[in-house]
Amino acid sequence: MDTFKGKVRLVIKNYPYKYRDFSHIAAEASLAAGDQGKYWEMHDLLIKNSPKLDRNNLIKYAKEIGLDVKAFTESLDKMKHAARIEKDKKLALDLDLYNTPTFFINGRMVIGDRPYEYLKKIVDEELKNAKQ
Amino acid sequence: MKKLMVFLLLLVVAVSYAAEQRFVVPVEDSPSQGPNNAPVTIIEFIDFQ
Repeated sequence: MDTFKGKVRLVIKNYPYKYRDFSHIAAEASLAAGDQGKYWEMHDLLIKNSPKLDRNNLIKYAKEIGLDVKAFTESLDKMKHAARIEKDKKLALDLDLYNTPTFFINGRMVIGDRPYEYLKKIVDEELKNAKQ
Repeated sequence: MKKLMVFLLLLVVAVSYAAEQRFVVPVEDSPSQGPNNAPVTIIEFIDFQ
């Protein structure tokens, strides 16, 4: 992202579907951190520590990045962001997505973990298109 | 021969159309970084687990 500073916007949609245990609560945790202005810190921690994403670990991560743990835990337990997550899930199903991550780069679909260079090539093409 | 040419032409059109397919994915209030008016928007569907 730093390479393209100011030229690229990255948007995250949740598609917790593969596993039944921690996918949903991890998505909740990311959005709960977002409420306290620390979405990306939590996002990075979740990726780093996956699949250790049970409730206790999530609360530990919240402490690590200095969140208000009480508010964070309440948000998790009340599943405050369930509607947002369900909306993302429905969108993913409507798009017939079957893998994560799936990227849409100016609408161009890229499925699965791809090397950075591959994604960069598409971004470069789109930047070139945008200039014309 | 003419039929074959038409078929090939249609095939080429179909393939290039598929390659150019762009999906419309609404951003809404999902978490994002980078300027709203950036020339490139990447929407990533993730599963943290």
